[in-house]
Amino acid sequence: MYYLGVDVGSVSTDLVLIDESSNVVEKIYLRTKGNPIKAIQEGFNILRNEYEDYEITAAGATGSGRMIASTIIGADAVKNEITAHATAALEIDNDVRTIIEIGGQDSKIIIINNGVVCDFAMNTVCAAGTGSFLDRQAERLEIPIEEFGDYALRANTSVRIAGRCAVFAESDMIHKQQMGYNHSEIIRGLCDALVRNYLNNIGKGKTIIPKILFQGGVAANKGIKKAFENQLGFEVFVPENHSMMGAIGAAIIAKERVKKTGETNFRGLDLAKSSIVTKSFECEGCPNQCEVVKIYENNNVMGYFGDRCTKWSNRTRENSKLA
Amino acid sequence: MKITFPHMGNIYIAAKALFDGLGVDYVIPPQNNKEVLNIGTRYSPEEICLPFKIMIGNYIQAIEQGADTVLLTGSCGPCRFGEYCELQMNLMKELGYNLNFIVLDMPKDIGIKELFKRLGKVTVTSNKSMYGKTKALKDALTVANLIDEVEAKAHYLAGYERNKGQCKRILNDCKKEAMNCSNPEEMISSLRKYKDKLKYIPVDINKNPLKIAIIGEIYTVIEPFSNFFIEDKLMDYGVSSKREMTPTWWVKNMALSPLKLNSLKIKQSSKDYLSLAIGGHARECVGEAVLAQEGGFDGAIQIFPMGCMPEIVSKSILPTISKDKDFPIMSLVVDDMTGEAGYITRVEAFIDLLERRRNNVLLGS
Repeated sequence: MYYLGVDVGSVSTDLVLIDESSNVVEKIYLRTKGNPIKAIQEGFNILRNEYEDYEITAAGATGSGRMIASTIIGADAVKNEITAHATAALEIDNDVRTIIEIGGQDSKIIIINNGVVCDFAMNTVCAAGTGSFLDRQAERLEIPIEEFGDYALRANTSVRIAGRCAVFAESDMIHKQQMGYNHSEIIRGLCDALVRNYLNNIGKGKTIIPKILFQGGVAANKGIKKAFENQLGFEVFVPENHSMMGAIGAAIIAKERVKKTGETNFRGLDLAKSSIVTKSFECEGCPNQCEVVKIYENNNVMGYFGDRCTKWSNRTRENSKLA
Repeated sequence: MKITFPHMGNIYIAAKALFDGLGVDYVIPPQNNKEVLNIGTRYSPEEICLPFKIMIGNYIQAIEQGADTVLLTGSCGPCRFGEYCELQMNLMKELGYNLNFIVLDMPKDIGIKELFKRLGKVTVTSNKSMYGKTKALKDALTVANLIDEVEAKAHYLAGYERNKGQCKRILNDCKKEAMNCSNPEEMISSLRKYKDKLKYIPVDINKNPLKIAIIGEIYTVIEPFSNFFIEDKLMDYGVSSKREMTPTWWVKNMALSPLKLNSLKIKQSSKDYLSLAIGGHARECVGEAVLAQEGGFDGAIQIFPMGCMPEIVSKSILPTISKDKDFPIMSLVVDDMTGEAGYITRVEAFIDLLERRRNNVLLGS
């Protein structure tokens, strides 16, 4: 009995299979590359080689692409990233009080009290200090992103870089390069700037209490972890499957949901072989002008979403009831 | 003369009743949508608040349908809304439109004589007698009252309904049917019919759904387009929601304010946190948060447009209330750049937070 969790994010699409006691038995990390459907199919293709449909008894979806993911995989639970991350974190450690999550395009802080989320914040208008920003800078410096953290740890001093805005941070970084600072000092400066920005924006007004869990793709970066520890004065823990926490949370929520309902909507791994096409149209039923997305699987309509009045998406539900 | 007015929630329904009753020619601007916002954003100052932009979009679309006069409420209050009419007059003139503005304002600011003069401008093409005009106004107020009641009831019952989506359907049908009525009397009886309909929908009184209060800046809470239809979403999630701010509340508040008898309860509740009217509806927002907690709500969502001074003040006060009373409050800021995905994520996460909190409280005790 396995439970599937799918997290379709801006940068990566993660799939995990967990067992009854929430251990991760399989994890797949794929780049979304702007095509979530293809990424999910790719992931299913890998899973298909080792698992059978009947072994997977629940499926959950999360991430910014959770709507499309849930429609095509037939998810039992569709949850937002914040709840998914908190669920996964609480599963591995009940004492966690603060969750720092930095992903590809967004960053969040989740405050937990008595094992329940009591406050949270997400970045709103600015993506400075997220994974994509670091990716870009790594590219500029021609350093593989995986080694970024090691470079930061090697530096003895940190160069102060203006981290308020990603564009200005970049110009400031170029300036510092031209002043002759070496790569590792600049990278450490960048990590410090990112953390400073995070604590000043997302962490503003929040009381950060240990134990602190650091998750999301950026948690792989040791330089950032170190910078958090320096600025907060507490130890920061990075869970083993830090980049998969969203998917793990979705799988756990799906597991609980199916235990309640007793049946799953999961469509099976053969999805990998189907040809899935999406078409969008502007609904003309009323002045709302919703952009409705229609998904076809092998020329059969699989579902709709994007409408406010649920005129179209109700058809999805009716169809799935009939099936 | 062809009158138009900016959209704000269900005002268009009451306005239709008023102008139909007066026999005045009017244009209802097309419902707010992306197109309206695009037009508004193109011509408005970049830094101005969201309502301004949407209103400009409304005017321009109404002009395309032949409108030449705008009816607007003003306010000499200490918030940017007080300058809307002047700014919009200038802006529309610069864009080359020949548009008349009729700005209704408080008698204490413009004098009662001036107010009647301006009201007279609205009815100048009406051939109704004084009695007919008064009746049209009364009918319009009745319509505003009824639609607000139907809406509030539907929002609240959505948490209790047995047939999912029934409240939302009734509310949508109600609005649609009201707009198909040809005179105020017909509209009033149609609205009454729907009000009764809501009385008899099957509900589960043992359900105990989550209850959320919607508080914040008046335009963005009332106009669903500006808050990404948050109340519709809450209905879909099976959450009961309540919003104190309605067009009827506003009228009542305005009418009673010269006697200082307006919103007594709200003023009383906000006393400990914000005892002064600092402009906009900041004091009301704070008071409503306190009232929501006392009224047994699970949480509150504050919505306001980016750059709204009064609400920024209340936003910084709300965490204190939240802490003092152990009452979750989430603030959402909207403007023309707001991405819907992140917004929805926040609303969903907030509902999860309330749900889990409640379960935990039950388990813990």
